[in-house]
Amino acid sequence: MASTAAAVPFWRAAGMTYISYSNICASLVRGCLKEPYRSEAAAREKVHFAVSKWANGKPEKSSNGLCLSF
Amino acid sequence: MAMAAFRREGRRLLLSPVSYNSSVAARSAILSDELGPMGARSVSTQAVRNRMKSVKNIQKITKAMKMVAASKLRAVQVRTENSRGFWQPFTALLGDNPSVDVKKNVIVTITSDKGLCGGINSTSVRVSKALYKLTSGPEKETKYVILGEKGKVQLVRDSKNSIEMNITELQKNPLNYTQVSVLADDILKNVEYDALRIIHNKFQSVVSFLPTVSTILSPETVEKESEAGGKLGSLDSYEIEGGDTKAEVLQNLAEFQFSCVLFNAALENACSEMGARMSAMDSSSRNAGEMLDRLTLTYNRTRQASITTELIEIISGASALTG
Repeated sequence: MASTAAAVPFWRAAGMTYISYSNICASLVRGCLKEPYRSEAAAREKVHFAVSKWANGKPEKSSNGLCLSF
Repeated sequence: MAMAAFRREGRRLLLSPVSYNSSVAARSAILSDELGPMGARSVSTQAVRNRMKSVKNIQKITKAMKMVAASKLRAVQVRTENSRGFWQPFTALLGDNPSVDVKKNVIVTITSDKGLCGGINSTSVRVSKALYKLTSGPEKETKYVILGEKGKVQLVRDSKNSIEMNITELQKNPLNYTQVSVLADDILKNVEYDALRIIHNKFQSVVSFLPTVSTILSPETVEKESEAGGKLGSLDSYEIEGGDTKAEVLQNLAEFQFSCVLFNAALENACSEMGARMSAMDSSSRNAGEMLDRLTLTYNRTRQASITTELIEIISGASALTG
């Protein structure tokens, strides 16, 4: 049987989800592009949304506009 | 001169034609401003003209909004149809289990941020509420994650204690996969779920939108359901390469599936929103056109009535002088 310790890949052990892992890989690939395609791809990477978590029927004050770029 | 004095007097005594029925009477209640000496009303053409001008402007605006929505629709529609290929392999592999019975349900409702788009947001909210009722019971817990301002406004009225998160400003930049996947990651980190149900409007054509529910199961639920057989039961017959365990692969698959399905759902909803806005603005322009026709008729009638009354005064004044 496979060893029980090596069952988890390195990124999962570091606390990343599959989604964040694949996003980082994708932005690395986009960084390898040359100029006209590079700016087109950069447009596909823009992230903007505003999240507010709710507790007991009220939104919490911390509603920050998440503007991340990998 | 005496003629001018008569004319001024006559205008104040002008009675609106008695043969009008109640709807027109209501309109002339808006249109008339002053009361003459015997309580007679004088219908002013200026007020009708102002109303006609504003209705015409509204018609222009709604026509422009329809054009804008049509052009945006054309752009998003291509991307939506291409994004359908994201979730189809997942359904081929894992099947679709909307009737799965789990303890923790999270309902992700996708709505728009802007209004004037017809009834699509109300249908999504109605489906969400029905699903909430279906999935609630003893020992079960259902929560909402709302994308979009319009859904939040409607759900806050009676279910505000079940709202977990609310996300807005999603369409500030054109929708792309990175943005939706970051959002999906955020949702997965903040809610506990056994089953995620995404409610959106599927775009079938410019005039028809179908409210749909896409169900995504957590890896533990997949394990449980695979004992029941069916598509999930035959997962064991697959050989897994690379040293991952089945649980690991299922975990990756569940996250990726949520991200893909959310991306497609957001695109479909954006498409439906544009289509609904097009038809709403179209019917609004048509209504404005009809209103304009009715106002033009009223305007012409009052104009002719005032001309007739002036003529009568002049002629009766002239005959009084000569006779």
